[in-house]
Amino acid sequence: MVSGSDVTGEMETPMETTDTAGPDTAGSAAASPAAAADAPATSAQTAAPAVFDVSGLTVFYGDFRAVADITLPVLENEITAFIGPSGCGKSTVLRCFNRMNDLIQSARVQGSVKYHGVDLYDEDVDPVEVRRRIGMVFQKPNPFPKSIYDNIAFGPKIAGFKGNMDDLVHESLQRAALWDEVKDKLKESAFALSGGQQQRLCIARAIATSPDVVLMDEPASALDPIATLRIEELMFELKADYTIIIVTHNMQQAARVSDRTAFFNVDIDETGQRTGRLVEFNETGTIFTNPSEKATEDYITGRFG
Amino acid sequence: MSSTSGDLSHHDEIRHHFDVLMAGLLQGMVRMGALVTENTRRAGEAMTENRLDLVKTVRKADAEVNSMYATLERQTFETLARQQPVASDLRFLVATTRILYELERSGDLAVNCVNVLERENGFPGSAALRSLVGKLVTEASALFARAIDALADMDEDAGPRLDAEDDAVDDTVSAFYTAIGRESTEIGLESAIELSRIGRYLERIADHGVNIGEHVTYIVTGEFPADLHPVLDDEDG
Repeated sequence: MVSGSDVTGEMETPMETTDTAGPDTAGSAAASPAAAADAPATSAQTAAPAVFDVSGLTVFYGDFRAVADITLPVLENEITAFIGPSGCGKSTVLRCFNRMNDLIQSARVQGSVKYHGVDLYDEDVDPVEVRRRIGMVFQKPNPFPKSIYDNIAFGPKIAGFKGNMDDLVHESLQRAALWDEVKDKLKESAFALSGGQQQRLCIARAIATSPDVVLMDEPASALDPIATLRIEELMFELKADYTIIIVTHNMQQAARVSDRTAFFNVDIDETGQRTGRLVEFNETGTIFTNPSEKATEDYITGRFG
Repeated sequence: MSSTSGDLSHHDEIRHHFDVLMAGLLQGMVRMGALVTENTRRAGEAMTENRLDLVKTVRKADAEVNSMYATLERQTFETLARQQPVASDLRFLVATTRILYELERSGDLAVNCVNVLERENGFPGSAALRSLVGKLVTEASALFARAIDALADMDEDAGPRLDAEDDAVDDTVSAFYTAIGRESTEIGLESAIELSRIGRYLERIADHGVNIGEHVTYIVTGEFPADLHPVLDDEDG
């Protein structure tokens, strides 16, 4: 990471909250970068500083424009949910936050993704360091074919962790609400765990390297309802220490767990070209009780999607 | 929420956040209920002690009740929208929207009492009438307070029990009306009508208490109040 990565001051959005800032301000947030800073200010809630500030983000895969002109802030110690139908670009945007799109050869990014004020796509920025600070959990639990203990220890070891590894493993599993279930079998294979436990192990692994942000791409879609609720409860606890962005097809999950929700949709132009766009971004309570855009209403009420 | 005991700590930690939200709503309603009980007694004191200075205090306290109503109603709707409640959770949240209404209306009725006092520039009746108002305030506010206790305890028998207890309040209201009739010549028709309004307001506060009890019974048992009472009471007259 470049030396300026700890700069947070300039990214703080001065969100004077007023009762008059209604849903309309949110609707314009998607279209206008200038409005983005004001968009989430719809309640008297204390505004957190922005961890990410996305502005005019457009992602191409070759000639295909996957998403266009995304502008939104991601606030510290909040859970931000990205929802929308398949192909709306929500996962594409998520992958920009830790430069996972770099791993796709044809991917090209325009606009800016600022992380604590530093442009993540600046040529001085080391993507490996980015991924240490911005961890990721995937749809399918993907533990390493190793012991539970080594799943946690692997990342820190690679990163040159010098502290007490037992303590780190303990703490990471504790935070992921898994310790009590695995403390007597740390040397057993991670594959012996249930799907929900494996996913919590992956979350423990993601936080073992002390990230600042955890990205979650459909983290519960492969789990049963109770394991899903456990993951959500865990996310709630984790947001005290981390900023979380979750992509989910399950809009009820976004409703339950997130502080803010971004609804993405697919635009189809006259040539049949499909492009993902941010339709509405607001506090989750507003999105699910009184969204300002008809497309949002239609999607969350199950009228299309 | 447990459907049998109403014990908010019944769930394990899987939906801890949701349980905290629900407990917060219940606490908010209980606090609103305590404010309304207190304000009803304060309105009673204003009437029986002829304390016109308390009129403003009663209105101010009701403003807090109204503000809590607005906040809790919004939280309830948001919880309904975001948490996909079913079974006892759904009954609790739907009943909460109704209980909030009962609480808010009861608060208004206490204000209505002191509004009469202000219009009449003091309590317009004999010591006997004043003493009957005092009795009515005591009984209505006590029933209301028991309804709030039942709410806090998720007492499944609250509905039928409070309904039975309300008969005593109705008897006192009748006695009050009779006494107003006896004195109507001395106090004048207009004041007699105003006094009878006070009787009606206090009777309604007790009725709202009974309704709260019925909502509690519904939350715990799933039995609709309408099934207990095929003919519901008239709305505020």
